[in-house]
Amino acid sequence: MNENEDNFESLRRLMVLKQHETPPPGYFNNFSGQVLRRIRAGENVESATLLERLFGPLSGIAKLLKALDAKPVFASGFAGALCLLLLFGIVSAERPDLTPQPMLQADATTTSLAALSPTALSPSASQMGIVSSTNPVLNLQAVASNFGQQIPLAQPVSFKIPNF
Amino acid sequence: MLVQQARRGDLEAYDELIRRYQERIYATVYHMTANHEDANDLAQESFIKAYQALKSFKGGSSFYTWLYRIAVNKTINFLKQRKNRIHLSLNDLDFNTEHNPDLVALISEKTPHREVNLAELQEKLNAALLKLSEPHRLVVVLHDVQGMSHDEIAKIMECNIGTVRSRLFYARQQLQALLADYLK
Repeated sequence: MNENEDNFESLRRLMVLKQHETPPPGYFNNFSGQVLRRIRAGENVESATLLERLFGPLSGIAKLLKALDAKPVFASGFAGALCLLLLFGIVSAERPDLTPQPMLQADATTTSLAALSPTALSPSASQMGIVSSTNPVLNLQAVASNFGQQIPLAQPVSFKIPNF
Repeated sequence: MLVQQARRGDLEAYDELIRRYQERIYATVYHMTANHEDANDLAQESFIKAYQALKSFKGGSSFYTWLYRIAVNKTINFLKQRKNRIHLSLNDLDFNTEHNPDLVALISEKTPHREVNLAELQEKLNAALLKLSEPHRLVVVLHDVQGMSHDEIAKIMECNIGTVRSRLFYARQQLQALLADYLK
């Protein structure tokens, strides 16, 4: 083996050159810091994925929590918005005079549900026999179809109740 | 002690372990890849993987050997993927290079064919190393560049000492042939 070592003496001297190849000055000052940052970041990602695994269908919540975790300003803004929403809810609930407004303004002819009839509705709707009401008692009259026929809205049906 | 603390999740202890081995791990990866950026990524990833796998470290070998094994396997896998896109990104030679007696002798003796300077020699040497297979390159790097013993290398490469010796011999022969113009 010694003879072999002697044969490679000039190569060994050349290989010394490799030992002088060094990274930029100060490179190792930040090395461990970078590794630890990546380890911590990996742990954060792992906890987030665990959350996503637990609440798979609610991945939106997981994303929101992740965003809140990453940006404290966003988190405080979100908390403030929640507080405002809560206050608004409390104030709204305690106001006694607050009555629900009708969705549509009805005119004088249609204010009474009892007086509701297909003829009181818009012509086209009444002609088609389309009525909308919560009143179960309607004036069921035959309406004219577009083809000049009288279409009864309902046909009287008589059921015979069998005697058991 | 530090390993036990790091196993329990103590990052300060792990920071100490990184500082202890960072230069040797980086150097091994760098000499294997001949690329500073790749070496930086791979060395960092080796430490990260070691931290994540620390719980599975049984202590059958030293932490140092175990860590080396992770870095070496990671590097070899990377090199297999990189096979056809070799890009040298060599570190500068330090200020002591020109005063090293071995290198001074090598340059002043001048090869029969041409004069060389250190930078050119560095590039040729790295190119020749990259022509070796990964196991042969690793043995040369660990033994001739990093000064490890055959026994240490055998533990890292998980092979017997005879294999290390034969790989070293073959690798040196190949290098000598590749660098014949620059060797006396």
